[in-house]
Amino acid sequence: MNRKYTRFTAAILGAGLTAVTALAVGDKIVIDGSTTVGPIAKAFAEYYMGKNPSVNISVSESGSGNGAKSLVNNACDVATMSRPMKAKEKKAAEGAGILPVEHIVAMDGIAVIVHPSNPVADLTVDKLRAIYTGTVKNWKELGGPDADIVVISRDTNSGTYETFETLVMKKEKMAGKTEYVGSNGASRQRVTTTPAAIAYVGLAFTEGVKAITVDQVVANHETVLNGKYVLARPLYMYTNGRVSDTTHVGRFLNLYRTAEGRRMIEDVGYVPLKN
Amino acid sequence: MELSTRKTLDRAFSGTGMFSICLMTASLLVILLPVFAKGIKAFVFRETIENRKMILEQFHRGDSAALDIEWESARTARQPVYDAMQAFRIELDTLEGSRRRELRSSFREVESALQSLLGPEPGSTLSPLLRNRYGQTRWDRAQVKLQQVLFREAWDYSRPGEAGTRQWIPRKQTFAGTRLEPMFDHLETKLDSMLQPRWTFYWRFLSDDSRDSHLFGGIWPEVLGTLYLTIGAMLFAVPMGVIAAIYLTEYARPGRVVQILRTCISTLAGVPSIVFGLFGLAFFINTLQVSSSKSVLAGSMTLALLILPTIIRASEEAILAVPRTYKEAALSLGSGTWNMILTVLLPAALPGILTGIVISMGRAAGETAPIIFTAAVSVGKPLTLLQTLTQPTPALPWNIYNLATEHAAVEEIRHVQFGMVLTLVVMVLILNATAIAIRARIARRMKG
Repeated sequence: MNRKYTRFTAAILGAGLTAVTALAVGDKIVIDGSTTVGPIAKAFAEYYMGKNPSVNISVSESGSGNGAKSLVNNACDVATMSRPMKAKEKKAAEGAGILPVEHIVAMDGIAVIVHPSNPVADLTVDKLRAIYTGTVKNWKELGGPDADIVVISRDTNSGTYETFETLVMKKEKMAGKTEYVGSNGASRQRVTTTPAAIAYVGLAFTEGVKAITVDQVVANHETVLNGKYVLARPLYMYTNGRVSDTTHVGRFLNLYRTAEGRRMIEDVGYVPLKN
Repeated sequence: MELSTRKTLDRAFSGTGMFSICLMTASLLVILLPVFAKGIKAFVFRETIENRKMILEQFHRGDSAALDIEWESARTARQPVYDAMQAFRIELDTLEGSRRRELRSSFREVESALQSLLGPEPGSTLSPLLRNRYGQTRWDRAQVKLQQVLFREAWDYSRPGEAGTRQWIPRKQTFAGTRLEPMFDHLETKLDSMLQPRWTFYWRFLSDDSRDSHLFGGIWPEVLGTLYLTIGAMLFAVPMGVIAAIYLTEYARPGRVVQILRTCISTLAGVPSIVFGLFGLAFFINTLQVSSSKSVLAGSMTLALLILPTIIRASEEAILAVPRTYKEAALSLGSGTWNMILTVLLPAALPGILTGIVISMGRAAGETAPIIFTAAVSVGKPLTLLQTLTQPTPALPWNIYNLATEHAAVEEIRHVQFGMVLTLVVMVLILNATAIAIRARIARRMKG
C-alpha cells in the first residue's frame, strides 16, 4: 500500500514537473540555413514573436548546405535554402526518417555586383562565365579600366553558389584564383572595398555596390517574376513532413502568403510570389 | 670577460626587455583604444526624437507626455517638407513627358531617403518591419542620411578605359524651379528641430533585447548567452579538471601511462578550436543527442572540452607546488589521503588552480569557433535557465562576427558591433579581475 502510494506520488510529481518544464520552456522554432534567405527568416521571426511572445524563434545563417544537413539530422524545424534539395540530400533524409517538404517562399535574382567606380554596366552570361573560368582576366577586355579582375565567389556550401554554377558556369570549373567567401554579406563587403572585384549575391545585398545588368536585363521585381532575368531563382523553406496550420511552425511558414509577409519580403529586398 | 663588455651586454639585454614590454603595451593600446573609443558610441550618443519614440513604443519606457510635446514641435518643423512633397506630386503630373520621367525616378530616391531619415510619411500604411517605421535614431547616422537626401551619388564614366569618379550632384539643382526645391534648404537648416537630438547615456544597451535584427535595441540576448556558455563550461570543466589533476598527481603511479596521459592533455590544448566545434556537433548533438538542435548545453560541453587541458595543467602545477611538508604533516597526524587532499592540499593549491580557471574563463567567453555549430545563432530571444538545456542562443563572439560579415546592413549598425566588442572585452576583464582579487585574498589568508 505504502509503496503504491509512493509510486503514485512520484508519477504525479513527474507529470507535474514535465508540464511545468514544458510551460517554462515554451515553444521554439529553430531555423538554420541560407544566408540569402536569412533576412526573410529574421524579419518573419521578429514579426511572429511579436504576435506570439511565448515562442522563441532562433535563426542561424550557416549556408543552404548546412541547413539541409541540419534538417536531415533533425536539428532544426525549418531549413532555409536558396536552392532546391538535392536527390542525395533527400535520400539521406529518407534514411534518417525525415520527410523534407518544400515551400517556395519568395523569388530572388542573383545580382552580379561590381564596385560603383567600375564603368562596366552589362555582362552576358558567356562573358560572366569567362570571368569565372579565368579566360577573361582583366577589366580592360570588357571595356573597363586596366585592372586584374578580383573574382569573388561563395563557398560550395552555399545555395547561391550552386545556382550560379548551374545557370552560369554550366559545368565548367571556376578558376583557381577565385576567392571563396562564406556569406552574401561578405561578398558584398569585399566588393565595396575592392574596386576591381566582381561577385554575385541575393537581391537583398546590393546596397552600396553596383548591380550590373545581365544580358541587358536589370534584376528587379518584374524581370525576376516573368523570367526575363536569367539568374532568377526561388527561395525555399523546408520542413520535416507537412506541417499543420495549428502548430507554430505551420503558422510561421504560412506568413509568406499573408499581406504582411509579402510586404516584409519586398521590404528586405526580395520578390514575393504572385498571388 | 671584461667588466665593460659584461656591462654593455647587461644593458643591451635589459634594453631589449624594456623595448618588448613597450611594444606590447603600445600594441595593446592600439587594439584597446579604438575598441573603447568606438564601442562607447553604442552607449553614449546623440539620440533623436525617433529613438525616444521607438523606446517608448517598443520598450515602454520614457515620458509619453513630454514626448507628445516634443513630437508636436517636431511635426510642425517637418510639415513644410511634407507639404512641399505633396505639392510636387501634383506638379509632377503637369510636367511634360521626358522631364516628368527624369524627375519621377529622382523623386522616388528622395522619398525613400527621406523615409529613412524622418520615418514614414504621416498617413502612409505602416510596414511590418521596424526599420521602416522609424527614422534615424542617432544623430550621426541622420547626418549621413541627410547627405543622401541632399545629394545624389553619381559616377562619371566618361573617360574610356579608366575607373569612374564619384560626383555628388545636389538634388536642389535637379529639382530647380519645381515646388520641391525649397524643401532641401528647409531640411538642411531645420533638421535639428525635426529630429531634436539630445545626448543620452543608453546603458540599457546591455539589458535591452535586440529588435529587427540588431537595427534597434540592445544586446541582452548575446550578453546572457555568453554568460550562460561561460558558466556552463566552467560547471563541466572545473570539477573534472581539478579531479583529473588530483588523480594525476596524488593517485596515479608515476610511470609511462601517466607520461602518455600528460602528453595527450598537452596535445589536446593545442588542437584548433574549430576542431572542437565540429567534434561537439558530431558527438554531443548528432551522436549523444544531448539536445535535438544546437543548444547552450551542447555549446557549454564543447567549450568545457576546449578549456579542460588548461585547467588540468594549471591545477597539476598548483598541487605540485604545495610543499611536501604540508602533506607529510597531515599524513603523520593520522589523516587519510582523501582527507589530506580536501583539507590541506586543495586549500593550499587554490590560488594556482584559480589562475587556471581565470585564464580559461576568458577563453571560453571569447571563443567563436566551438559554438558556431553547437550553440550560437544570429537571432534569438534571451533564454531562461531551463531553456538553456534545449535551445540555442546568440552569443557575443559569434554575433560580432555575424554582424561584421553577414548582416545585410553592416554600415547602419557599426555602433552595435563595436558596442558588442567593448562589452565582450569588458566582460572578460571583469571576470579576470574578480578572479584575481579572489586569488589574492585567498593567498593572503593562507599566509596569514
